[in-house]
This record gives sequence, C-alpha cells and structure tokens, in this order.
Amino acid sequence: MSDDLEKSFVKQLKENQNIIHKICRLYTNGEDAHNDLFQEITIQLWKAFPKFRGESKFSTWAYRVALNTAITLYRKSTRTVATVTYEGQKHFLSQEDYNLEEEEQIKLMYQAVQQLNDIEKALVFLYLEDKDYTEISETLGISEVNARVKMNRIKGKLKKILNP
Amino acid sequence: MEELDLLKKAWQKDTHSFEQVTEVEIYKMLHRKSSSIVKWILVISLLEFGLWALVSFMFNTDDAIKSLHAESFEIYLKIITYVNYAVVLWFIYNFYRNYARISTTTSTKQLMQDIIRTRKTVQHYVWYNLFMIFISTLLGFAMAFIYNPNMDTLRYQIEHEDGYKTLSITICMVLITIVVFVGLFWLFYRIIYGTLLRRLNANYKELKKIDL
Repeated sequence: MSDDLEKSFVKQLKENQNIIHKICRLYTNGEDAHNDLFQEITIQLWKAFPKFRGESKFSTWAYRVALNTAITLYRKSTRTVATVTYEGQKHFLSQEDYNLEEEEQIKLMYQAVQQLNDIEKALVFLYLEDKDYTEISETLGISEVNARVKMNRIKGKLKKILNP
Repeated sequence: MEELDLLKKAWQKDTHSFEQVTEVEIYKMLHRKSSSIVKWILVISLLEFGLWALVSFMFNTDDAIKSLHAESFEIYLKIITYVNYAVVLWFIYNFYRNYARISTTTSTKQLMQDIIRTRKTVQHYVWYNLFMIFISTLLGFAMAFIYNPNMDTLRYQIEHEDGYKTLSITICMVLITIVVFVGLFWLFYRIIYGTLLRRLNANYKELKKIDL
C-alpha cells in the first residue's frame, strides 16, 4: 500500500477519531479495553480503507466499519458487560453543568445501555449521534422499518431495566 | 423516551473529553502487526518442540540402542537430549518474553529495538537447531558404523583391503547425506521463520520511516 494512501488515512482517522472513541465508550469498560478496541477498529479501518472510494463521507464509512468491528469483536470475546464498573465512565459525568438529579439519571441510563446487546448498542449509538433512521438503516444494513421497530423495542427494554 | 434524550443531550455535549490520539500513534497502531508476527513465532516454535517431543516418544531410541548393543553411547545421547530440551525451552521462553515485550511496547523506538531483538533470537534459534541436527546426524552415523552388524563387511574392507578408497567413499557419502539433511532443515526453517522475519523486517522499515 502506498505511502500517500497511508498518509491520507492517518489524517482522516485523526480528524474523525471521536467516532471511534465514542463507540469504544459504549462497548467497553475501563481504559485498557477502550484502547484495545480503538486499536482494533483502527486496524480494521485501515484494512478496509482501499475499498473506501470516497463515495460517502469518511465518517459515514467509518461508522459502518467501526460498528461492525465492535460487534464482531464483542461476539468473539467473552468480556461481557454484566456488571458495570462506575470507574470506567467517570469522565463521562465530569461535566459540571448538570444538576445532581440529572447526573444520577444519566448515570443510570448509561448503565442501562451497557446492558443491551451488541446490536442494540449500535442502534443506540447511532441514535445518540443524532442519525436519522435512513442513515441508521444504511449503516447497519437493515431496513428502515426494521430499524424503527428495533429502536422502539430498545426503548422498552431500557424502561424495563430502569424500572424493574 | 425522556431518559434517552437526556443521555443524548449529555452525549453530544461531551465530545471533547477523549484523550486524542496523535498521528504517530495511529501509524504505530497500523504497524502493530509486529506483535502478531512475534506471537506466531512463539506458537510455531512451541508446535515444533511438541512435534519433536512426540517423535522421540514414538520412536524409542532406547530399543534401537539395545538392539545395536551400543549402551556406551546411551549416556551421551541422554545428555544431548536433555541439554537440547533445556536449550529449546530456554529459546521458547525468550520468544515468549519477546512477545510479551512487543505487545506492551508504547514507543516506536522501543518497538524497533524489540523487532531487532526478536530477529536475533530467531536467528540464533535456527542456527542452534541446524547445528544440533548436524551433530546428531554425525553421531548417528558414528554409532551405526561402530555397532551396526551390517557394517561389518564395510569395516572389514577398510581394515584389511583397499582401506583408503572405501574409507574416503564412505566419508563422502556421509558428508553428502549430512549436507542434504541439514539443507532440508535449513529450507524448512527458511520457509517458516524466514517468512515471518521478512514481514517483521518490512514492518521495521515502515517504522523507521515514521520515526525519523
């Protein structure tokens, strides 16, 4: 692979790295796992990069590859997130401008999301990223109707987790 | 769902809290395959060790020695075998250490040094193995020549008839066999470890470009 290709990849990845960080946050616990997944996604993106022809935005393409990596890696490994350590998400709550009640709610919500399965997490992730259903369905390779149905189910599931 | 939207709000506000990865770090990640190559070196050396252990279990050399009445050789063979096991295990331990080190390295410079170290370990390992094969083949021939009853005529010929000619022919045959034998193993190592080392080397060159 040519140096130019590598250069342009590294540059674009650097600019779009928050996408990957966010996925890592949703799929992993703790710093080590976060960095592991980040690296794995980076490698997968690089492997897939020659097929990326710039038809879509780099970010859109990266969403797809990164989520796929997170999902398959998650399936392969046994590190399920049954119990969620609070430590891992500390930085997430470090914003000062939430009131306590909201903060508590967000924390609970976040823990609830962590209990979802890998595909559900992908949907939630795209939802949190403010993607519309067209984009969600394209990214995950499912129909728009299916995406909507799934999202509704997830909302129900989250409600159940929050109010058992 | 109210809570989900709350989370969404928090999620979108919170985009800058990640520790940013630099370009150099990304380059390094792309060349991290070094650690997987080193892992393969470890795995293959373990497999190889297992294979030889299995072979020596299946072909009981003790019986062969007894049938040849070459008991006086036995002690040397035992020593060679155990020393060999110890050395090979030591190499495997080193492969493991290389792997452990490479997979935790965080600096490019360190990674490059680790690659060089791994290369050296592999090279020493291959040379050691070839040397061992040479020695054991030689020993095998010596044993056969001295103790094998089928060799009686040959020995007789060397001692009583045209000794010089037969001896030189025998030595030539032995040398050719050893060269072919060692050559085959050399080829084997070259294909297996050579391929891995070449990849490692390519990686090293890439790293060198980054780390100017």
